[in-house]
Amino acid sequence: MPKRIIFHIDVNSAFLSWEAVNQLKKGSNIDLRTIPSIVAGDQSRRHGVVLARSIPAKKFGIITGEPVIKAVRKCPNVTIVPPSHGIYTQCSNAMTELIMTITPDIEKYSIDECFVDVSGLRLKYGNDFLSIARTIKSRIKKELGFTVNIGISENKILAKMASDFKKPDRIHTLFRDEMKEKMWPLPVSELFMVGKASYKKFKLMGIETIGDLALSDASLLEERFGKYGRMIWEYANGIDDSPVQTEESEAKDLSNEITIGFDITDKETARLYILSLCETVGMRLRKSGLYANVIGINIKNSEFESYSKRKKIQTPTQNTNEIFAVATELFEQVWKRDPIRLIGVATTQLQSEPPIQLNMFDSLSKQSSNVKKLDESIDKIREKYGNKYLVRGSLLNLNKDCNS
Amino acid sequence: MKFSCNKQDLMEAINIVQKAVMTKATIPILEGIYIETNDSLKMVGNCYDMGIECSINADIQQKGSIVLNSRMFGDIVRRLPNSEVFIQVKPNFNVIIECDNSYFEIKGLSAEGYPMLPTVEEEQKISVSQTSLRNMIRKTIYAISNDENRKILTGSLIEANDGDLSMVALDGFRLAVAKVMIKEDTNFKAVIPGKNLTEIYKILEQSDKDVKITLSKNQALFELEQCRIISKLLEGEYMNYKNFLPEQFETNIVVDVSEIIESIERASLITNDDKRYPVKIVIEDNKMLITSNTDVGISKEELLININGNNMTIGFNPKYLLDSLKVADEEKVEIFFSSSVGPCIIKPIEGDSFVFMILPVRIK
Repeated sequence: MPKRIIFHIDVNSAFLSWEAVNQLKKGSNIDLRTIPSIVAGDQSRRHGVVLARSIPAKKFGIITGEPVIKAVRKCPNVTIVPPSHGIYTQCSNAMTELIMTITPDIEKYSIDECFVDVSGLRLKYGNDFLSIARTIKSRIKKELGFTVNIGISENKILAKMASDFKKPDRIHTLFRDEMKEKMWPLPVSELFMVGKASYKKFKLMGIETIGDLALSDASLLEERFGKYGRMIWEYANGIDDSPVQTEESEAKDLSNEITIGFDITDKETARLYILSLCETVGMRLRKSGLYANVIGINIKNSEFESYSKRKKIQTPTQNTNEIFAVATELFEQVWKRDPIRLIGVATTQLQSEPPIQLNMFDSLSKQSSNVKKLDESIDKIREKYGNKYLVRGSLLNLNKDCNS
Repeated sequence: MKFSCNKQDLMEAINIVQKAVMTKATIPILEGIYIETNDSLKMVGNCYDMGIECSINADIQQKGSIVLNSRMFGDIVRRLPNSEVFIQVKPNFNVIIECDNSYFEIKGLSAEGYPMLPTVEEEQKISVSQTSLRNMIRKTIYAISNDENRKILTGSLIEANDGDLSMVALDGFRLAVAKVMIKEDTNFKAVIPGKNLTEIYKILEQSDKDVKITLSKNQALFELEQCRIISKLLEGEYMNYKNFLPEQFETNIVVDVSEIIESIERASLITNDDKRYPVKIVIEDNKMLITSNTDVGISKEELLININGNNMTIGFNPKYLLDSLKVADEEKVEIFFSSSVGPCIIKPIEGDSFVFMILPVRIK
């Protein structure tokens, strides 16, 4: 079994499906999906392009992206609905929320598709990923009223290719050992990231299918197309290491704050709250694989006045204790000894893992790698059993207060 | 007080003593240069951390002393014509400065209360040529730490031991040791603030003339022909730097210094200022590849070298490598790698005039 299992979930004719669901909800007795219909811009002026089409509309040869006028020529009876983006966002969010109940490792790739890393569900479901996919698919259909295609593979590119196979309402796998049979015979224009322009260039090079591309010389492609050449060759060969980026990993900054039920007036209590905030911030940073360059503290006093201080640190960090050390240092510098109502810890200028300059005093970084392991272990335990079960001694009483 | 002297001699002396004068002090006298005529003309700058006394030839007509604002005095003398300068103090502390057709009369301050240089008890004394001391400072000073939390590391250790004089600086990421032989068989250790060493470096000349170094409990005295420099010492115990130096190595190579400097400089061209990118060094098949990979692009450099030991892949902050290599003053050096996550050491092929140690960057 491969290391990672990635799902690509793609809503079938998203805008149209969502439009249909919405109209049915409003009491319409026609399901747009069962008649030739399109979602298109400004129909009164007969302008705009086809944004989505129903499967019966597809049978008339209507293609997404073509002018409405052309579509009408192909099928004079086509039902045209204007897009209602608010509803799409709602539907999209509803889908994300539904998947979130199964796993948080989800990357919203666009409004109607997402990647989900289900590798972590092994503990619970073993290797039966098909049944997870079936669950997701049927729950979306039953609870939200629209259908999706799910592509299953070991990385994002193959999962995305797989979800594009036969539609609608299907689950397809495309693991690397199925690639030759399922993906390579497809025309190269079907490959993700191959547009019209590069398709033409490939054709001139005698590359017709994805297989042709996969078997051509990578360095030659790299020479001709630069980085894109290397990437597209890797895609054709089903190579893609990119992680499923949860929302937090794209965050520019990451912070946490708490409004306390009473006013904090002493340093020790404040420190405990700061520690507790640092724990969450640290955990989120580690979860998204990010390191903070700047750490800040925010305070709002009982008069609702806010003030803050931040500091750029020498080496970016995601370690709870290091964040805590800086946060308390800042707190002591900035706190005006007024009653505190709200306290917050912020991290900004986030970056991916920095190269680590080794230091003579850290007994050659052994210590820092141990600290990292400790943080990771704590995170794992908390992720599995919840935050309540592994608590810092100093925070025992604090958490009791919070829970009550 | 009344004297005359050569403008250039005077300017030189002002330039030297100014290095120890505060530009902003709480009391005006501390922003001044002390001038005294006795048997010779003596000038003093003193900021407690460091004091400099300089003597020059002058025709002394009347003994006395005065303090003049350092910046003002310096600016005036700098712009005087290259001729004889006449200086005279009036009873109201006004100072007349005359040179050819120029005439100034500026306010001076009573020399009373000027902090004179302390006398340094001659406990241990060694001598070394100015050039040697200069080189030692140059080979180590870049490795001084600027972390005020580890105050002791903001200075350089100067250590005499059985005929060797070494200077050591380390900031946790790298370590530099420079060594010369001395005639004296004394043993001492002291840590001199880096800031003062930088100034002393500027005063020292490329010359075989000696500089005498005297140490007392909390001061070091550097005596040159025309001037005396007193530096306070940093308190505390310096790290036992020898413990950091690895003894076993996986790989060692010999490289041409100017070649490797040029390669690293090119490889670090494609970094931006905000982010520090490491350079990656791959050693295999008698070749050294220096590559960098940044958000701007990639680069690769290839050098032919002699390898002893295993292949090696290791990352470094290019600045650290350059800082050390640039002061090596050798055509070729030997580089020893302890491991891909352990310190590397740069040494001359022969002798032990320096040892540079650099810690790598852990790369993926």
